[in-house]
Amino acid sequence: MANQPMFEAANLSKRYEDGLLALDHISFSVYPGEIYAMLGGNGAGKTTAINLFLNFLEPTEGEARIDGIVTHREPLRAKEKVAFVSENVMLYPNFTALQNLEFFARLGSRRRFARKELEDVLLRVGLQADAHDKRLRSFSKGMRQKCGIAIAILKDAPAILLDEPTSGLDPQAGFEFLRLLASLRGEGKAILMSTHDIFRAREIADTVGIMNRGRLVMQRDAADLAGTDLEELYMKHMAGHNSEVVPLA
Amino acid sequence: MLTHIISKELRDIIGTAKFAVTFGVGAVLIVFAFLAGARNYQASMARYEAAKGENMRKLDGVTDWISVRDNRIFLPPQPLASLVAGVSNDIGRTVQIEGRGEVSATDSRYSEETALAGFRLLDLDFVFQIVLSLLGILFAYDAVNGEKERGTLGLAFANALPRTVYITGKVLGTFLALAVPLLIPVLIGCAILPLMRVPLSSDEWIRLALIILAGLLYTGVFVTLSVAVSSLTSRSSSSFLFLLVIWIFAVLIIPRASVLLAGRAVDVLSVDEVAARKAQLGRQLFAEDREKTAQFKPSATGDPGAMMKEFQQFMEKLADERDKKMRELSTRLNEERHNAQQVQERLALGLARFSPSAALSLAAGGLAGTSLSLKDHFLASAGAYQAEFGRFMLEKTGMNPGGGTIVMRMRNDTGEKPKPINPYELPEFRYRPIRLADVFQGVLLNLAILLAFNAVFVAVAFRAFLRYDLR
Repeated sequence: MANQPMFEAANLSKRYEDGLLALDHISFSVYPGEIYAMLGGNGAGKTTAINLFLNFLEPTEGEARIDGIVTHREPLRAKEKVAFVSENVMLYPNFTALQNLEFFARLGSRRRFARKELEDVLLRVGLQADAHDKRLRSFSKGMRQKCGIAIAILKDAPAILLDEPTSGLDPQAGFEFLRLLASLRGEGKAILMSTHDIFRAREIADTVGIMNRGRLVMQRDAADLAGTDLEELYMKHMAGHNSEVVPLA
Repeated sequence: MLTHIISKELRDIIGTAKFAVTFGVGAVLIVFAFLAGARNYQASMARYEAAKGENMRKLDGVTDWISVRDNRIFLPPQPLASLVAGVSNDIGRTVQIEGRGEVSATDSRYSEETALAGFRLLDLDFVFQIVLSLLGILFAYDAVNGEKERGTLGLAFANALPRTVYITGKVLGTFLALAVPLLIPVLIGCAILPLMRVPLSSDEWIRLALIILAGLLYTGVFVTLSVAVSSLTSRSSSSFLFLLVIWIFAVLIIPRASVLLAGRAVDVLSVDEVAARKAQLGRQLFAEDREKTAQFKPSATGDPGAMMKEFQQFMEKLADERDKKMRELSTRLNEERHNAQQVQERLALGLARFSPSAALSLAAGGLAGTSLSLKDHFLASAGAYQAEFGRFMLEKTGMNPGGGTIVMRMRNDTGEKPKPINPYELPEFRYRPIRLADVFQGVLLNLAILLAFNAVFVAVAFRAFLRYDLR
């Protein structure tokens, strides 16, 4: 494992203007070649953490760092290092898959791509050739998600942020997606993903952090989780440390 | 990066069915405005030539210049007035030239074609005002908040993309996506003019180019305004509603309301009031002159020729005195009315310029020579011609017979058939349109106002977008 974390939350807090404490002093690190899954229900603070890494929000306290760069101090430099795939990838409906890919990939990497390069990446993420020249308006969510991943791959950033990437995907698409993540990890990318899909998190993540009401209530690596019922652990933490775990029927 | 954003905007706008339909309608209207303008010019030219011919025909067989008392001049149709009508159809186009006295224009086009007066012409000014502003709004109302709603804003800003570059690309891209395609029907329209035998001088081509520039700046105003409103609101439905309200005020309400407000604020002597006072003085002077005429006694009673000459001189002196008094009153009343009208006009135009639509209209009218000053310019030209006509008549008849002068003639029947006069000896009325140099300052002011609107809205858009919540 490299010494410098690619993603680093250092005592990161965010309180919104209405007083809501969305993130409460969380700290974690994600190293190159590692997948970190932030697990948590709605309102746990996962998306707020991602927005802080993307500098869409400024922290109230602490710092979000990408490759050591504090995102709210040098946002443009930090964003050069990160690729982002949102929960519901929405591209330009009037553009084809290739046109969308070309636009966003060039925004990210600032270089022109040959059509062949773009097609290869689309094929790699599992988007069949006959869909490349189709307009996005006819795409399913899974197909759009694949385009989002293709954009992230083309950016070739060392850090990848994924916000609920498997939400709404069918089992086959979900499986292919995890395989793709594993391959990106193999290339040395640091991946930080938010999810409430316990099973996929367990399957792919090197480290799992459970978040509840803005706090990182548990963090364990894959080795620690071996032989543990993650679902039970998750329910326990969702209910609060002192509450009794109610096993699912 | 900027060109990348601009090119995306161009593709995103031009590739839509919405653009195809609205651009199609806009293009047809623009070409139609040129076509209708060219046909209108041809028809106006035919009417003008017919009226001039009729004026000459009336003099057929006239054997005495003193009988030439119904000479008329006409405002010739101007090619650009057919494209930007301005006030050209509201003002009278015919002036009766008598040799002396005040000139006034009658027979406006709208007084002859009342249906047209009700609905007005579909000219380039109207099409620009309505179509370009609506196109600007339709394609930019969701420039920023629409991207947020689609989720593409967050994806774009997950990259090292400066906000200033993005918003500049948005403004320029949307503007170019509208302006460049719209130049196509405009250029087609420009090609139609010579094909339909509408002669444009190089000066008029420059004016037309400046009218098109004003149209582009006007499009820019609504594009930048829409981007600004889109950056100030989070929902595209809200920005569309706001922009619709702003459009109604900017295009329909403010120009009209400013005239009403100015009318309330400054009292101007009405034309009827001026005419009534002039008529009253005229009647009084005629009554006095009738008495003086009745008391006329020639000094030499033996020679009828000398008597006649003395009478003519007496009548001319009366006419000159009457003309002088009428002129004094006219000048005073006209000056009073003119001054108040100037104040009212300045106030109305000052208020109207809060609307980009009024600034466009004023710039286009000024360039086409159909602005509010057209009437004064035509009457000044007519007045100058009348003076020339008076001098001509003096030369031909020994007197200037205008202004209600009573003329007595003695006929010496020599048995010779009198020769008809040659009506083509009459001085020709040559109308010179308002020079570009004379209107340039006003035009420049209106172009600067349109530019200022663009600058202000761009600044608002930048300011709002730099604080925009990208989530």
